[in-house]
Amino acid sequence: MPSARILVDKFNDLKTLPHVAIQVTQMAASESATMQDFEEVIKLDPILVVRLLRLVNSPYFGLSNNVESIAKAVVFIGMKELRNLVAVEALRSLFKDSEDNRTFSRKNLWVHSATVAILGQMISRRIFALDGENVFLAGIIHDIGLIVEDQLVGEELRQVCAAFAKGQPSISEVEDEIIGTNHAKVGRLLAADWKLPDEVIEAIRFHHRKDKEYPIPSVISILQIAEFVASKLKYGVVTGRTESLPKYLTSHMKSRVADYKVLLKSFPAEMAKAKELYESDSDN
Amino acid sequence: MSNLIDDIFEDFVEGDEDLRDFHSALSEILPNASITLLAVDGTKVASPLQPIADEIVAHCKEQLGASSELASCPLDDGQLIFGKRLDELGGCFLCLCVSGQDVGKAVHQQLLPLYQNSINYALLQCTHRDAVIDNEQINRRIEVLTTNHAKLLDDNHKQFLLIQQKEHEYAKKLESEIARQTRELRETNVRLEEASRLKSEFLANMSHELRTPMNAIIGFGGLLIETELTEEQQEFTETIRKAAAGLLVLINDILDLAKIEAGKLDIDEEPFCLDGLGKSVEAMFRSQALEKGNKLSYRLDPALPHSIIGDENRLRQIMVNLVGNAMKFTENGEVTIFVDLVSQAADKWSIKFGVSDTGIGIPPERQKAIFEKFTQADGSTTRKFGGTGLGLSITNQLVGLMGGAVELESEAGKGSVFSFVLDLTEAATAASAAGKNVDQVGGNGANLSFAQQKPAKEITKEAADFCVLVVEDNLVNQRLAALLLKKAGCKTDLAGDGLQALEKIQDKFYDLILMDVQMPNMDGHTATREIRKIENSAEKEKYKSLAGRENGIAIVGLTAHARKEDEQRCYEAGMDGFLTKPIVRATLVSLLEEMKTQKKNHV
Repeated sequence: MPSARILVDKFNDLKTLPHVAIQVTQMAASESATMQDFEEVIKLDPILVVRLLRLVNSPYFGLSNNVESIAKAVVFIGMKELRNLVAVEALRSLFKDSEDNRTFSRKNLWVHSATVAILGQMISRRIFALDGENVFLAGIIHDIGLIVEDQLVGEELRQVCAAFAKGQPSISEVEDEIIGTNHAKVGRLLAADWKLPDEVIEAIRFHHRKDKEYPIPSVISILQIAEFVASKLKYGVVTGRTESLPKYLTSHMKSRVADYKVLLKSFPAEMAKAKELYESDSDN
Repeated sequence: MSNLIDDIFEDFVEGDEDLRDFHSALSEILPNASITLLAVDGTKVASPLQPIADEIVAHCKEQLGASSELASCPLDDGQLIFGKRLDELGGCFLCLCVSGQDVGKAVHQQLLPLYQNSINYALLQCTHRDAVIDNEQINRRIEVLTTNHAKLLDDNHKQFLLIQQKEHEYAKKLESEIARQTRELRETNVRLEEASRLKSEFLANMSHELRTPMNAIIGFGGLLIETELTEEQQEFTETIRKAAAGLLVLINDILDLAKIEAGKLDIDEEPFCLDGLGKSVEAMFRSQALEKGNKLSYRLDPALPHSIIGDENRLRQIMVNLVGNAMKFTENGEVTIFVDLVSQAADKWSIKFGVSDTGIGIPPERQKAIFEKFTQADGSTTRKFGGTGLGLSITNQLVGLMGGAVELESEAGKGSVFSFVLDLTEAATAASAAGKNVDQVGGNGANLSFAQQKPAKEITKEAADFCVLVVEDNLVNQRLAALLLKKAGCKTDLAGDGLQALEKIQDKFYDLILMDVQMPNMDGHTATREIRKIENSAEKEKYKSLAGRENGIAIVGLTAHARKEDEQRCYEAGMDGFLTKPIVRATLVSLLEEMKTQKKNHV
């Protein structure tokens, strides 16, 4: 049975994350990167430039003047937001479906990831008054391991999904059984290769773990709540199936029910806004 | 969407939480009323208060269930019960009655608006609660935005500092790069200057080497021409002499240039007579002017002081160069030497020296180039007019050394004016300059040509008993000196070096010692010092040449180097005079004349 490392290595041979994404992520974490450095890297990817300028000129930022320079755009949106934008661009192509499948499809997974990312950011901002940039990044990437598995052990992954759809309590346990590793482990390795922030890597690694209490708020606890809510909203990995929420998070949500209810009322609007910002022109 | 939301929270809360919230809110507003709330599916919402009997509720719902307005429904016992469908809460049914029998029907009717308002208020309270939460969330988002804003500002400030630092680093790098390049350039420059200096030194030494054979050629040429020769031989010899003289001029030019470039040319400032300088230059070119049909004139500004402090020899060299140049390019025209006053302040005089001609002139585009070494106005000039192209360059550099600059006004075909202005100091007394106004015995070409034009003086009979010891290691030079002295009517003995010279002066009386400077065994300086030492001691009596003299024996140095410091070293060693090789007959003769006069006076 393949280990997570073998899967990641094989995957890296087949598909590579765009150079730009890796560089921007590292520069965002670096203390000494300048706007000019960002500009140098970003301008290599024309699609990214268009998106960046579209984002910074969207009503969200409400700037009176049109921003036309990359460096200026980075100044306005901030490095982390830029990093997330780049991550979305980088991952989008990986989530393109090769074939349609009822129990598992990359397109569904993309919608799931985007939903978790947006919900995670909303929860961070609306409940905890945090910027949630890392939660967003964790959300968009947390299931990347499933893409790797789909690419390399697609048949087994479909068995896993089928078993999970029939009521197996945890998808990662089924993966361990059938594939020999799980998407959390694989995703964690990829994220580490990508040199994402530590709290993002840890969140990806443990997002299916139920037996440990993480601080509230933290990237992983918010990611777990967002994952749960997304599944409940029928945006799960396998439609219609929701893994149970760890107990400590259940009691947290119980104590803030009204907050979450109000938050969810804004979700459709936020989703639409995100779609406008991040959706590629070819998507629909 | 709202169904989905309910789904999410089914795990945490019971489904009718909204209804219960409303129920309790309304109960608080109407504490005396019995309230029953039926969910859409007909189940009763739990309430801690006394409920209305189920059958009454059922009756009421039957009567009023379709109404979204609060309405009353009479009961069998005459009581009134109120009810309405609550669309705001998903269409559930509200049933409400006031306990107490004594309230009349009319009063109940009056209470209807109160109830209606109470229900609306309770509903609003529920919405209000959501609004408060929403507001809280908005506040948190504002908080995030504020933090982000601060972070952005912070980031941008950091960026500013980073860029500033990078700029500093870049500037530093640039600076050190420039410094490095400058250092390299400086080093290269020093190397080049050193190479150039070495080259100049080499040239200076070479010139010296060249002058030794020239010495023989010119000297013997001069002697040859005075022997019995056929007309043809006479002509050939004259040609050899002229060619040799020209070659010597060239060698001297090169030597001067090399000295200037090697930084070894010093300006020797002493009082001299301005008019004497001008006149001597004019005299020097008088015959040449006649040959070329030129009218040569000289004018001196009468306002100028008689004597002035400066380097007369170098000034003469400059003027000779300029006049020679003018002569070269002028035929059947005019050449004017002039010395004009420009300005004066106390004893500081600004004096313009110049030479004008009506010669071929120099086109403007060539005017700058003619001061370059080896360059003339036109490449073909050399062929037409001769010359090395060194003269003006040397002149310019000499003038530069004196703090001036040669200026040129010229028009092709009309003539040229070369001039320069020097700031010179008036000599303190006229007398100090007068004594100095003797032709210096110099080794440069200007002096040579000047000296050669002086007619050789007749030798007086008294010279016959005039004895000269020539101390010289070079055989050719020995012979030449001996011949020249013999021609001048002197007796001559030879010594090969300083040691031999010391022996010779023991045995015989000599009037004059011509002492070469560079010699093997004992050089001229050492030998001179030895002689002077002996003269001041008791040993003196043992030497025939030295014994019984009031003054010391006359020693005149011979050297190929015409440098100031060479001359200085000769005087330091105790010599009385100084001759530059090649020995020029005229200068030797005038020297001998002087010596003899002194001898006569002493005798």
